[in-house]
Amino acid sequence: MVSGGNASSLPLVGGKPEPTIKELSSPGRRASKFPKLDVPEVKINHESLKKEKARLPEVSEHDLVMHYSRLAHRNFAVDLGFYPLGSCTMKYNPRFADSIASDSRFANMHPSMPEEFTQGCLKVYYEIGNYLCEITGMDDASFQPPAGASGELTGLLIIKKYLEVNNMNHKSEIIVPDSAHGTNPASARMAGFTVVEVETDSRGMVNIDKLKEIVNDNTAGLMLTNPNTGGLFEEEILTISQIIHNAGGLLYYDGANLNAIVGSSRPGDMGFDIVHSNLHKTFATPHGGGGPGSGPVAVKSFLREYLPGPIAENKDRKYNWYHPENSIGRMHGYHGNFLVTLRALVYMKLLGKEGLDKLGAYAVLNARYLSSKVSKIIPLAYDEPCMHEFVASVRDLKKSHKIKAYDVGKALLDKGFHSPTIYFPLIVEEALMFEPTETQSKETLDDLAENLKLIVDDLQKEDVVLEDFPKNLPVGRPNELIPAKYLTVNWGDFELLEITE
Amino acid sequence: MYVPHSELDLKKMFDELKINSLDDLFTHIPDALLLENGLDLPESLSELESIDYFDDIAARNKSDLVCFAGGGHYDVYLPQTVKSLTMRPEFMTSYTPYQAEISQGILQVLFEFQSLVCDLTDMELANASLYDGATSIAEAISVAINKTKRDGVVISSGINPNSKEVINTLIDRNKFNLDYVDLDNFLFPTNFEFDESQAAFVVSYPHYEGSCQDLTELVERAKEKGLVTICYVDPSMLGVLTTPGQMGFDIIVAEGQSLGSPLSFGGPTVGWFATKKEFARLVPGRLIGESRDKDGNKSYVMTLRAREQDIRREKASSNICTNQTLNAIGSAIHLSWLGPEGIFEMGYHAIQKANYMRKQLIKNGYVIPNDDSSLREFLLEVKSDAAEVLQKMGDKGFLAGILYDEKHILVAVTEKRKKIEIDNYIESLMEVDNG
Repeated sequence: MVSGGNASSLPLVGGKPEPTIKELSSPGRRASKFPKLDVPEVKINHESLKKEKARLPEVSEHDLVMHYSRLAHRNFAVDLGFYPLGSCTMKYNPRFADSIASDSRFANMHPSMPEEFTQGCLKVYYEIGNYLCEITGMDDASFQPPAGASGELTGLLIIKKYLEVNNMNHKSEIIVPDSAHGTNPASARMAGFTVVEVETDSRGMVNIDKLKEIVNDNTAGLMLTNPNTGGLFEEEILTISQIIHNAGGLLYYDGANLNAIVGSSRPGDMGFDIVHSNLHKTFATPHGGGGPGSGPVAVKSFLREYLPGPIAENKDRKYNWYHPENSIGRMHGYHGNFLVTLRALVYMKLLGKEGLDKLGAYAVLNARYLSSKVSKIIPLAYDEPCMHEFVASVRDLKKSHKIKAYDVGKALLDKGFHSPTIYFPLIVEEALMFEPTETQSKETLDDLAENLKLIVDDLQKEDVVLEDFPKNLPVGRPNELIPAKYLTVNWGDFELLEITE
Repeated sequence: MYVPHSELDLKKMFDELKINSLDDLFTHIPDALLLENGLDLPESLSELESIDYFDDIAARNKSDLVCFAGGGHYDVYLPQTVKSLTMRPEFMTSYTPYQAEISQGILQVLFEFQSLVCDLTDMELANASLYDGATSIAEAISVAINKTKRDGVVISSGINPNSKEVINTLIDRNKFNLDYVDLDNFLFPTNFEFDESQAAFVVSYPHYEGSCQDLTELVERAKEKGLVTICYVDPSMLGVLTTPGQMGFDIIVAEGQSLGSPLSFGGPTVGWFATKKEFARLVPGRLIGESRDKDGNKSYVMTLRAREQDIRREKASSNICTNQTLNAIGSAIHLSWLGPEGIFEMGYHAIQKANYMRKQLIKNGYVIPNDDSSLREFLLEVKSDAAEVLQKMGDKGFLAGILYDEKHILVAVTEKRKKIEIDNYIESLMEVDNG
């Protein structure tokens, strides 16, 4: 049975390997055509000009279109099936937003134009700033960070600068839960902080006693997602925020899981001073195979002057760029990922108050429902009500049948689903993290659970070879050691390897 | 909106969970934190109403100006092939190819992107993209610092001023000494002395002001002192320019907008990062490798993952996770569309047209301070206030360039500009710029 939710067809097309565009190249072919040179051609002598032509493929336009279309057929996507990849919020991306972002009056704007010429772009930033601040409970926002990790670094640099300006340079420690995303500690180190981990308790939440032990005068701040990476709401968040603030530290909200709470509660009301949001997750912009995203940072008003600038303001019915006084400086060459921001604003306008008020609730409903179904097949990591995502563990199946989270994920691919996130959070053994999002139907959720049951039964059969999964896809499991050992990262590298070995 | 549940669905789901309403989902959240009346936001719009709303916003942009601005972002012709292929939902609505077996499309295009970048720049290894040109320079400097364990950085002043700001944000100036070296007559001083306290030599090719020089000897001398040499290149000119690889650079970074992305008000575009294999384990961001599955089928997979933040956590050299994959796909398709002849014509027409424009400006009494050394981009000295000239040229239908200082405008010419547009530009300039 192949399903991928309420579909019944295989989403991907396989067959023999697709050649590279270089292998499709043949001398003398070309797709491009430019107008004839319409200025008098002169001899230009310049020491930087070369004589030879660039080494690029020579292909016809039809060959090119067929090649990249065939490659597209070998790629799973939100538009093809259920993508319950935890922590990534793979919800439906409205087509309508693409049409607005493709409007040449937005897409063809040069970033260095004087602000008088770009009043529309500035208005987009101004309007979405208002939406984002209301949704997160903050006061001011900068849209420079082009992705979540950049937003995190922005937030930490704001903390650092704030401490410098207020003569608190001794505060050098950032507390991060042991369940946090890898970008948290990586960003904290990049900003020059020492990372201190706080343990998670048996319920899956920040261990308050341990937190109290760790916090001291050197505490600069705490980075937290809420709900946390286990999909659980940090019920003691007000206590946590009090502990950090009492020590003179700041509270940083990692917006990776914002989708869970939109409309029901706000980081600003929980005591967070800085919030980054992933517009590509919560506000449904296409993830583009790995990016682009947008990671705006919103702050309470006492931190406004530290934001990366410029930020859009509205004065006397005109929009202008404001440069915050103590700004940490630019995080992006221009204004961040404008067209992603624009798509997110389109989504917010389409949902409006009615849609946004219930957004988090529906995301939680789907996850809670799916977790109820999944818990009958694989035990959950925590016996707590989940928010928008939940973590299951195949720890027992690993002991009894050597079935790893990895194997379950691979077998799910065969059934027409994307795998959940595996081995995260790190503190849960053999973790499978499911995030269904609010745009999947009950049938699709039921179907995932049914298939999971089939898989778990299949994988326990005596003659099963776990490494054989997946079986129905364009390729089987790639050997991961070859490229890591021999650096086959450029075309020709692998062929060279075959010749020399 | 976009939530599929009917009342019947909701009832079944509530029954499974033994709840009566959506509110019952949040009984474990402290009351003080629950919003009583929801968010204070306007009600939703239909798509039809949204068209009007965004039409009003779009109309506030002066979007019909003939573009003579560059500085890293260029108004080149973006073929429809690139636009429609990058909008394929399989590329647009997937995410990082963690599951290789169902992500061969993204993985192979990114592998091709990496290889095309290497071929175009003459390097051995490229990553699968960074955010943009400016942040790529900062990442390259971090690699050099990690490699050499030195704390000085030599940076040419002839780089985009916004890029300087990004470098100043991302490289801790309390720990590292950023030495911005002024250009001498628009070129990097060839007699500059490097020393062994310096980690990196960063230079733009061409320089921000548009002048271009052979950097081979400077690179050689920097490397003699153990510096990592970093070139920020305009990739759309590599059909005509000697490649940074040929000049011996260790790391090449680029703002890739002009290959595969619309101007986009500066984002999303794509940062390119290419280097030599000896630097592989210091490279930021994702890398795609070629491998085989157990049946010997060619397959692609993310590789050298141990460098990345999700595994190495606070020891990772970069925190990048989400990158600019879709724009990298655009670069790969655009480069394949151009081919060797197309990318040559793109560059060659640009420098011919820029040359024509400079000569016409000079003929009409204008001064081009870097006429001799510039190619497709150059400084134009104006007679009145440069910011005012830009405003008035806007009224005439031109984006005249980028404000450089009170007296100068940075002008860029692409293959897209027509002779008549150049002639009209000069005519309009003479009307509005009358000292």
